[in-house]
Amino acid sequence: MISKKREDPAWLRRLLLGLGIGWIVVLVVAPIVSVFAGALSRGGSAFFAALVHPDTLSALRLTLLAALCAVPLNTVFGLAAAWLLSRFQFRGRNLLATLIDLPFSVSPVVAGLLLVLVWGQQGWWGPWLSRHGVHVVFAWPAVVLATVFVTFPLVVRELLPVLQEQGSSEEEAAILLGANGWTMFWRVTLPNIKWALLYGVVLSATRAIGEFGAVSVVSGHVRGETNTLPLHVEILYNEYRFQAAFAAATLLVLLSVVAVSIKGILERRAHR
Amino acid sequence: MSISIKGLNKHFGRYHALRDVDLAIPDGELVALLGPSGGGKTTLLRTIAGLESPDSGQILFEGRDAALQRPQERGVGFVFQHYALFRHMTVFENIAFGLRVKPKHERPSEEEIQSKVGELLKLIQLDWISDRYPDQLSGGQRQRVALARALAPKPRFLLLDEPFGALDTKVRKELRRWLRELHDELGMTSLFVTHDQDEALELADRVVVMMEGRVAQVGTPDEVYDRPATPEVFQFLGNVNLFHGRVAEGGFLHHAQATTGTDAALAFVRPHELEVERFASSDSSVPAVLTHAYALGPKVRLELRRKDNGSPMEAELTRDRYRNLGLVAGDSLWVTPTNLRVFCSDEDVVI
Repeated sequence: MISKKREDPAWLRRLLLGLGIGWIVVLVVAPIVSVFAGALSRGGSAFFAALVHPDTLSALRLTLLAALCAVPLNTVFGLAAAWLLSRFQFRGRNLLATLIDLPFSVSPVVAGLLLVLVWGQQGWWGPWLSRHGVHVVFAWPAVVLATVFVTFPLVVRELLPVLQEQGSSEEEAAILLGANGWTMFWRVTLPNIKWALLYGVVLSATRAIGEFGAVSVVSGHVRGETNTLPLHVEILYNEYRFQAAFAAATLLVLLSVVAVSIKGILERRAHR
Repeated sequence: MSISIKGLNKHFGRYHALRDVDLAIPDGELVALLGPSGGGKTTLLRTIAGLESPDSGQILFEGRDAALQRPQERGVGFVFQHYALFRHMTVFENIAFGLRVKPKHERPSEEEIQSKVGELLKLIQLDWISDRYPDQLSGGQRQRVALARALAPKPRFLLLDEPFGALDTKVRKELRRWLRELHDELGMTSLFVTHDQDEALELADRVVVMMEGRVAQVGTPDEVYDRPATPEVFQFLGNVNLFHGRVAEGGFLHHAQATTGTDAALAFVRPHELEVERFASSDSSVPAVLTHAYALGPKVRLELRRKDNGSPMEAELTRDRYRNLGLVAGDSLWVTPTNLRVFCSDEDVVI
């Protein structure tokens, strides 16, 4: 062990610090600043006009809807799956673990195509659904489905190592002290995993809000109806409406900042 | 509360953890499940608690089939090997847990909980740290909290899995005595798992020796120590010397050649049951060389080597006897067993 604090020469420290800061400025700060600069390039009123444009608001609504569906679904199923994988040994356990990871390893575009193949007009149950007036692909349900698919592993993967490390003896103790399964879950299991769970929830929320590839395939890009914020930004950009594209992009940046701050607070509390 | 176990079997995959276990535990006894690790002790304990379900066989509580009861309803207090305290709860809340989760009509009022937990905290002499968290406690303190937590809902019997395994010798001794007193005071049926023979022999009313998933022997500590049922039990319970010989006409022959009318046999002798002398005193005396001697508290332990076949032996003497003999390493001696336990076998035993 080296107990003496080693001091590097001042010029080296400044150089390394400068390189680090420069790197972050070039890669992160400059683009964010440019987003805001681009958004405000025609003044504040044009910025606000782009923000409250009906198409932007509709895209924001759909993005939030997708996130609000995906996050609770992932939370419930993620808890159930992580519980199953960590507490029980059964046939096909490894297969299940691999399947849960699949959305991570498959390209989002492929995920979108899979959804079209299953739910689309030529798909497995798409024709039956559309005969009954339910349109999934190129409508908002497909956007939600794609978002759920892509974000599915996030909660499981956060919970699984924590559950495995803690083992089941506290839960067994609770049962033998007379607690039923529900009480055991709320009073023993959940308090031990709550920070990991919240962290997984924040991660899947940010991923849901930012998802582009899978959603792009299934949404159909109907302006004001099936566009999410990332798709909306792209369309505006391709139409050379840079200022409006940047204005919509600021919304995404703000949502990310909120999520990252929540994550930071959680991390600090979890490690206390 | 008596427990009776009939024909219990349990597999984990291909591993046969419990093999036809039959056992009767009378009301109010303190019983030790003793045996080497992997012998099925913990599995048996967990099966009684309802944490594992048997593949076949029956567990009866006071004559009633336990399979009809969920683990919550069995009235079991369980102390886990590594305590399994709720890490996000204080000592107080850990102990109160079993009272707080009772169904509404049985649940005591908040004042009753406060006084009940207060009593238990006094009993385990930890009332001064009731608001600490488990990771702020020492091993012995955690152990006592785990015990108090198990006792709070007034279990009908108490199951303890290696209760003193992770503690240092001094704390272990204190807690052992304390557990014995507690058991006598509360008068419930208690069952604890241990691989430490001293612990089992010192603490228990009755010892159940388990090996390879089977009950090898059940008896009082004296019975198990003095009359082990099998060579394996004998070897597990303390140091032992092994003599190969043959049995004929009800006697054990040390030096006999294989002749008709005799059976190959093994004889076991404990180190303190070997007489060490300068001269042969009987037919069964065996010549040996002293290789090493060392003091062990009030006793002296001798390491010897048999002259006839070179196998090692251990003997134990009092310090006086050792001094009187004036022994030095390298001395030629005669060793005579004063007490032999003979196990016959039809096959030749290779050790």
